[in-house]
Amino acid sequence: MGFILRRLFFYLVAIFVAVTFNFLIPRLMPGDPIDALFASAQGRMPLETLAAYKEMLGFVDGPLWDQYLAYLGSILTWDLGPTIMLYPLPVSELLAAKMPWTLGLAGMSTLIAVCIGILVGTYAAYNLGGFTDRFVPGFWAFLGAMPQPVLALFVFFLFALRWQWFPLSYGANPDLDPGWSIEYIKSIAHHAVLPLGCMIFGGIGAWIFNMRNAMINVLGEDYITMAKAKGLSNRRIMTHYAARNALLPVVTAVSMQVGFVMAGAIFIETVFNYPGLGLLLFKALAARDYPTMQACFFMIVVFVLVFNFIADLLNLWLDPRLRK
Amino acid sequence: MKVTIQFLKRFYTGNPAAIFGSLIVVAMLVMSAGASVIAENDPNKRVARGHQPPSTELLLGSTRSGKDVFSQVLHGGRISLLVAFSAAVITTVIAVCVGVSAGYFGGRVDEFLMAITNVVLVFPQLPLLIILAAFVGQVGPLMIALIIGLSSWAWGARVIRSQTLAIRNKEFVLAAEVMGESRLRIIFVEILPNLTSIVFGGAMGTCIYALMAEAGLEFLGLGDPTIITWGTMLFWAQSNSAFIVGAWWDIVIPGLAIAIFGGGLALLNMSIDQIANPKLRTGGYLNRWRELKQQVDRKRGLA
Repeated sequence: MGFILRRLFFYLVAIFVAVTFNFLIPRLMPGDPIDALFASAQGRMPLETLAAYKEMLGFVDGPLWDQYLAYLGSILTWDLGPTIMLYPLPVSELLAAKMPWTLGLAGMSTLIAVCIGILVGTYAAYNLGGFTDRFVPGFWAFLGAMPQPVLALFVFFLFALRWQWFPLSYGANPDLDPGWSIEYIKSIAHHAVLPLGCMIFGGIGAWIFNMRNAMINVLGEDYITMAKAKGLSNRRIMTHYAARNALLPVVTAVSMQVGFVMAGAIFIETVFNYPGLGLLLFKALAARDYPTMQACFFMIVVFVLVFNFIADLLNLWLDPRLRK
Repeated sequence: MKVTIQFLKRFYTGNPAAIFGSLIVVAMLVMSAGASVIAENDPNKRVARGHQPPSTELLLGSTRSGKDVFSQVLHGGRISLLVAFSAAVITTVIAVCVGVSAGYFGGRVDEFLMAITNVVLVFPQLPLLIILAAFVGQVGPLMIALIIGLSSWAWGARVIRSQTLAIRNKEFVLAAEVMGESRLRIIFVEILPNLTSIVFGGAMGTCIYALMAEAGLEFLGLGDPTIITWGTMLFWAQSNSAFIVGAWWDIVIPGLAIAIFGGGLALLNMSIDQIANPKLRTGGYLNRWRELKQQVDRKRGLA
């Protein structure tokens, strides 16, 4: 239990740091983002709106400490105020509408990439110097270094634009009524193929690498030789003896990868016009919609922390030493 | 000199990944360094009609505003590579300072530094960069390098710390302490040389990451669009809907430039990892090892 409590405390601190960061950033920057907004609206923004924005971003009069408390209060009550680009729609409503798309994309792609990566990495390391081992890691290292916007653009160009196998944009056919009908779900799946494929493609290399390296370290251990001496089958040694223990450092590496996955979602959703958090962030950037931007960032941080916590739980399950 | 040549020979023998990687990186470096000699057209000047396809005259076609894509890629490479390398240098310096101090001094210093590192590590770096860049306004290449450098040292610091911890308790470090060497000397002369491969590998990795981050930031329109880099080329092409109007070269060329250079660095990085930990190596020379291993296994009755 101590382990879980320690981790939860750590995540609490991290969320706190993220909130403080969100609070400080607009105040540390030269010039006031709200004034910039007011100027860019060219007189089309009523003064009450301006006041509302100031209040929402915590630019209330008073000492910094009071502003900070007011800001914390608004986060805790999840009252993030109205958006700027789609005024007067509340930021929290907009986020709620976009979240499931990104959650599905990030979750599914991580799951698939991890599974394939672990299988390939295990196989490559167990057959060290074999064909898979010699070419697959290098191949993925080369491809994995491709920036996600570039990868997404290439895939978009070939499969959506040139050959038209998959739709160009949206998360589902806009002519269909959203709901649990088979047709709608089919449409979602059809629209998700390319973005999902890009995200898997971008993440898989890291998993193969991590798994292969972890496996190689484990394979030198005495208990592997012992297992061979007992006459266990190769397959059983590979999965139950080597891979089982090599998984630990790989699961820990999740913390590094999830941030990368979320960043990938921003670019991939932008290219495929996929209606998730990433596209929302991109649109907010273009419209200089600071409240939405900050809310997106906060949501992404929360996503990453939740994924990290899941990884912690997995570690707890995999590693009996943590359960003491 | 002789040692260097011997080392290089060992590094490249039977290691096609290292050879390919080095060739790509060196070729790209030379091409961007000699951009003004190789490309005759000024990258900022209108030299043709908009969106001309590649031809013998314009090797890689023209952008929407009629500028030479070939010349832009070469010139843009200069700044993109400079940003990537300087970000990697900043990151590496911070990571080494934090990691070595935490690992060597231990105790309170270690706890404090690692607490900060772990919090920084759990933050998604690219979204953080995006928010920072958005609030700073359109950021120039220098600022991008600075932001990337200051925000992405955490992983390296952790790796270097654990390696320092491992080296710290080796006999030669204890011997140096007993002989009364100063702490600075121990850190710089005894410990740092043993971290070389890890530091280099980390720097290489950061370089790839910085290249991707820079391209990403600029692709989202957060960079200074008046400065030609691979990222802003992508940004302009995308905002001019180059794909939709059929001008694929406008996006594919800068995209390929980033992808190929990043790939080359990744291959090199992989090879450096394999020097740091020879167990990770792969390749033809393992055939002999596999044969021997099978023979031994058969003798022992393990196969």
